Amino acid sequence: MRMAAALFAVALAATACGGEGAQEATATRTVDFWYYQPTPDQAVKVKQLAKDFESANPGIKIKLTEIPKDDYNTKLATALNGSGAPDAGYLDQPQMARFAGGGQLAEVPAGTIEEADYYPGALGTNKVAGKLMGIPLQQTTVVLFYNKKYIQTPPTTWAELIAASEKVHREHPNVAGVSLPKGDGFGAWIFPAFVASAGGTMVDEAAKKITFNGPQGQEALGLWRTLLTSSPRKITNTDQAFQKGLAAMTFSGPWDVLGIREQFPQLKFGVSLLPKKLEEASTIGGDNGVVFSKADNPDAAWKWLKFLSSAEHNAQYADITGNFPVNKKAAATSALAGDPDMKIVIQQLESARPRPALTEWIKVNDDVLAKAIEEGVDGDTSPAEALNAAATRATKVLGWS
Amino acid sequence: MELIRQAGARKGARPDTFVGWLFVTPAILHTIVFMAVPAAGALFLSFTEWDMTSAPRWTGLRNYQEILFDRDLYPDFWISVRVTLLYAVLAVPAALFTGFVQAYLIDTVRRGQGFFRLAFYLPVVTAEAAVAAIWRWLYDPQFGLINEALGLIGIEGPDWLGIPEMVVPALVLIAAWQSGTAMLIFLAGMKGIPRNLYEAAEIDGANRRAQLFSLTLPLLRPTTFYLTVTGVIFALQMFGVVYVLFGRDIGGPESAGLTYVLQLYVSGFRDGEMGVASAMSFLLFIATLLITALQFRLSRRDAAS
Repeated sequence: MRMAAALFAVALAATACGGEGAQEATATRTVDFWYYQPTPDQAVKVKQLAKDFESANPGIKIKLTEIPKDDYNTKLATALNGSGAPDAGYLDQPQMARFAGGGQLAEVPAGTIEEADYYPGALGTNKVAGKLMGIPLQQTTVVLFYNKKYIQTPPTTWAELIAASEKVHREHPNVAGVSLPKGDGFGAWIFPAFVASAGGTMVDEAAKKITFNGPQGQEALGLWRTLLTSSPRKITNTDQAFQKGLAAMTFSGPWDVLGIREQFPQLKFGVSLLPKKLEEASTIGGDNGVVFSKADNPDAAWKWLKFLSSAEHNAQYADITGNFPVNKKAAATSALAGDPDMKIVIQQLESARPRPALTEWIKVNDDVLAKAIEEGVDGDTSPAEALNAAATRATKVLGWS
Repeated sequence: MELIRQAGARKGARPDTFVGWLFVTPAILHTIVFMAVPAAGALFLSFTEWDMTSAPRWTGLRNYQEILFDRDLYPDFWISVRVTLLYAVLAVPAALFTGFVQAYLIDTVRRGQGFFRLAFYLPVVTAEAAVAAIWRWLYDPQFGLINEALGLIGIEGPDWLGIPEMVVPALVLIAAWQSGTAMLIFLAGMKGIPRNLYEAAEIDGANRRAQLFSLTLPLLRPTTFYLTVTGVIFALQMFGVVYVLFGRDIGGPESAGLTYVLQLYVSGFRDGEMGVASAMSFLLFIATLLITALQFRLSRRDAAS
């Protein structure tokens, strides 16, 4: 009781001192927003963006919480079950179905955004069972990085890629041709790009059938296995092999374009489309903004997400984080759009395919596909055997058997 | 006087018990709130399917069944069991050996015992993540200090963390380096051996070697046994170092560094299968219990013979 009285007195005093601004001050709504921990430099810029939003929307305060990307989903799931849950935050595209299915996400109120303003690929990752559960914030894809010291004209086909890798390693035995993705979640995210380039698909959702073990998938995994002979892991297992000039090529995304320029300015590198077999293809990734169903201030949170994805600010936001705008109007104004390397990435984005929108896809990606890559590329198992075993497992994980 | 004291003792029995309870209450509360209740919760969850986002669904023994027998759903489970057992079998003796050697040397030197004790114990109190990050640099195939040193004597070092067969030995090396706890307890054990026994041995003509094998080692048996039991329990729970050491490539090449608890962590926190993770933790609990009981058994028979 005494506590309440004291609080009341303090509040009264604050109101009295506040004068004209008092009404707003008492109505301040705070939006706790969780996002991936950026570099210190980026964090300053995001904070500035939040300040811009606050001055345009008096009465709303944005509390930015930075979470290391690797721990994000874990921390979020834990917080949502306990206390300290945020109002809004990032959600990785493949996590949408899981969190929506658990009733943790609020549906986007009708009229919050104009769906036609967004790239359909990025927007589509926000739909769960036909309902819009989030707002796309940024998207990304994967391209070929090459070290200009070893590669003058980047390879455009698989055959050229193999030849270039072998040539580099033959002429420079201490340099690997390609810093090849490993059998982990990241490698499994990139792998579908190569399957698609060979003309294949990962799954047939309608028929509930795994297709990544078809001939195209086997060709894709076979390509990586071939590349491994001219790209020894002993060289590429060192930390940041490409950045240190120990690998002539690698597959990575736009975040590395900015990262390498910032941290390895001496490295002369170029970016080109992923070498293709039959068609141009890459993989798509990115982050959506969601509001959680237990949010204290959902209206304010939606305003903030709308701000981040708006034509005026989405480009600025994506520029800060090293990703691409999802808002079509913003894309034209992106500072990165004029960058020659980034132009390649934008071009690659047109042929980027989203991953299957299945709740259990994360497990298929991280456990099943990752293992198949490890076995079929680094191990003694043939690509065909590794993928067939993976298909059996994936069928079971997805409950399709 | 005598009567009064007796009466006082009889009367005082109650307050004494009360005070006793008062002293152990914090410990009991701690055990109940932070150990028994969560353990009971985990036991319940191990019979459910729970992804931390929706309500748990009762599935009975299905988690246990699938973990143990379904190689399609949990292909790495038995690999992780093998990795962990291999690690425990190699790392515990290795750490005991280095710990003992360190303690023996410290016990022998006349000056600077405190310094050496601190220096050898430092790896134990260093944060696990920092330890793993440093060893990751040491093991780097291109620029690592270990391979650089091997190169100086003309040996081409392997890609320690990149070749499946080298992963467990690399982990054992870290464990041997981190043997400060064993060192400290061995040292305490050595200090506890009465000096006159050594004097007697000397009079009997025993040299240092004989003293070590016939006196120090046998008398340290209880210490060795204690360190073996606790060491095995810790080794079965190896997590922090492997988690940081392999980073994104969880478990390393061909899951050669996928320890049991790392696998458990991945199930619970990455795949969102908390029920499965809880079941795995109970399986580990039972296995630890059995292994420890076996150790007690063997040691008793050993002592009897």
